[in-house]
Amino acid sequence: MVSLATLAIAIPALAAPWLLGTFWISLVTQMLILGLLALSVDLLTGHTGILPMGHAGFFAVAAYTTAILEVRHVQGFWVSAGGGVLVAVLLAVVFGLSVRTSGVYFILLTLALGHIVWGVAMRWTTFTGGENGVSNVPPPAVAAVRFADLSVYYYLVLVVVAACGLGYRRLVRSPFGLALRGIRESESRMRGLGYNVFAHKYAAFVISGGLAGVAGVLYAYWNRFVSPAAATFHASAEAVLMGILGGTGTILGPFIGAAIILGIRNWVSGYVVWWTSVMGLVFIATVLWAPHGLLGLVRELRRPAAPGSPPP
Amino acid sequence: MTPWILQALNGISMGALLFLLAAGFTLTFGLGRVVNLAHGAFYLLGGYLGLTVLRGTGSFWLALVAAGAGIVAVSWACDRFLIRRTRENVLGQVLLTVGIAYVLADVCLAFWGGSPLRVPPPEFARGPIDLPGGIVYPRYRFLLILFGALVAGVLWLLYSRTQLGALVRAGVDDREMVDALGINVDRLFALVFGLAAFLAGLSGVAGGAFLTLYPGADWDILAYALVVVIVGGLGSLGGAMIGSLIVGLVDAYGRWLLPEFSYFMVFGPMALLLLVRPTGLFGREA
Repeated sequence: MVSLATLAIAIPALAAPWLLGTFWISLVTQMLILGLLALSVDLLTGHTGILPMGHAGFFAVAAYTTAILEVRHVQGFWVSAGGGVLVAVLLAVVFGLSVRTSGVYFILLTLALGHIVWGVAMRWTTFTGGENGVSNVPPPAVAAVRFADLSVYYYLVLVVVAACGLGYRRLVRSPFGLALRGIRESESRMRGLGYNVFAHKYAAFVISGGLAGVAGVLYAYWNRFVSPAAATFHASAEAVLMGILGGTGTILGPFIGAAIILGIRNWVSGYVVWWTSVMGLVFIATVLWAPHGLLGLVRELRRPAAPGSPPP
Repeated sequence: MTPWILQALNGISMGALLFLLAAGFTLTFGLGRVVNLAHGAFYLLGGYLGLTVLRGTGSFWLALVAAGAGIVAVSWACDRFLIRRTRENVLGQVLLTVGIAYVLADVCLAFWGGSPLRVPPPEFARGPIDLPGGIVYPRYRFLLILFGALVAGVLWLLYSRTQLGALVRAGVDDREMVDALGINVDRLFALVFGLAAFLAGLSGVAGGAFLTLYPGADWDILAYALVVVIVGGLGSLGGAMIGSLIVGLVDAYGRWLLPEFSYFMVFGPMALLLLVRPTGLFGREA
């Protein structure tokens, strides 16, 4: 039942805190969190064929909610985390109406909606703290366990992300996931077959927003600080790129993409001042030469070159 | 009464600037189906280029022209070598142009630094101007309104009264048909794209005089320009005109009356409008 690939991932993942130092564990945790955000976006880009450019909004809203509940109302983990995800889902329920538009309009609309979240975070200083954000988020206390140590919090994140990943896998392999991919290929055909395309896209959007919210909750506890930086267009664009870079339509792809982007940001920035340009060049190179991401490239390489042969 | 008029002037002058940026963006999409999210970076780079020319020559007009021309060159290069390769792939285009924007913004940071820089307006545009009704308003912003109206007027005449404009309108309506009629749509598109770039660079100088140029200004202004084209409808010049007025005014009044929710004031109604009319006020199906 358990494949070799799964073991190859699971064993290092479980042993990581013993193998890596604090810096790397922090990086890996961040990779898992942002990878989850990228995964939520990929449900829409990779499976449904629509491009949301404002998902950092759900991420940030959940992070802020969790942070505010913990810091100002001392609500504890379950209420704060649950509240965070709930608020993200509610926002997705509202923003999800954007799936009524299509193509470029959807892209620009989600971009603007994400920007609203950023704008509110920046300007509603009495509630969000504006640029100062919400700080001193305490480490989560689940039952009797206080995840104060970063290496320990890593395990919490790992468990949550793994659970989400398995749930996601179930979802995309279900008839619902199949319908989404049908919509990606041809909306009119699906409509002709009797599918309620709007309902499917809307449901996918809300699920995606909720998943982004889970990532946001994890982020709040990891970063211990939430500011409008979590809701910027950059964050949304990176979430999209991570999925594309790693491989659209896959589950590991977004995490691979997250690892690459974080690697560039943390490693390259240590060497060159112009690492933003490097990021930009990675965007450009991905679009031009690896439109289906790294996993897509791997798939291409494995495919036999002879014409007429069946795909793997 | 006076503060209401002052804010209206603020809004209209902002709208004038936004129009310069939005008009190019909306026509580029309408005709070529190209979503150029580097448009904001064009604005910023144009502003910086103009500033350098202004510092070197002392001429504001030369700075405007140089900024426009410089961005035309940059945009041509981007289109020729990069954007053209993403035909029909909107996802790719969006990410590609975002990547270009990142690179251009970094170049700006490297050459002009991170501190906000202000483009000094020409002598005749400095100081206040006395308007009827006892209103005193910054001369530069008032002149910007006139300039914006002038550009809008010229563009409108070109668009609706010349054969070239007719070709562009036809191309926005049905690109394939125009192509089938033997018109070189690619050349037409290059013209429109070039004009959009020229206006973007020029608006960088114009905006740099009262909004200043700083890292991040590219995305700040692009966000507003996007609201304008969304509200006005992609591909519609008239929509860009009306949209920029609406956005400028809503922004000005929003900042004044409800500063903590000013962003929401601008983007909220836009989202509502789109739910009712997914293609904006004057747009058509993508």
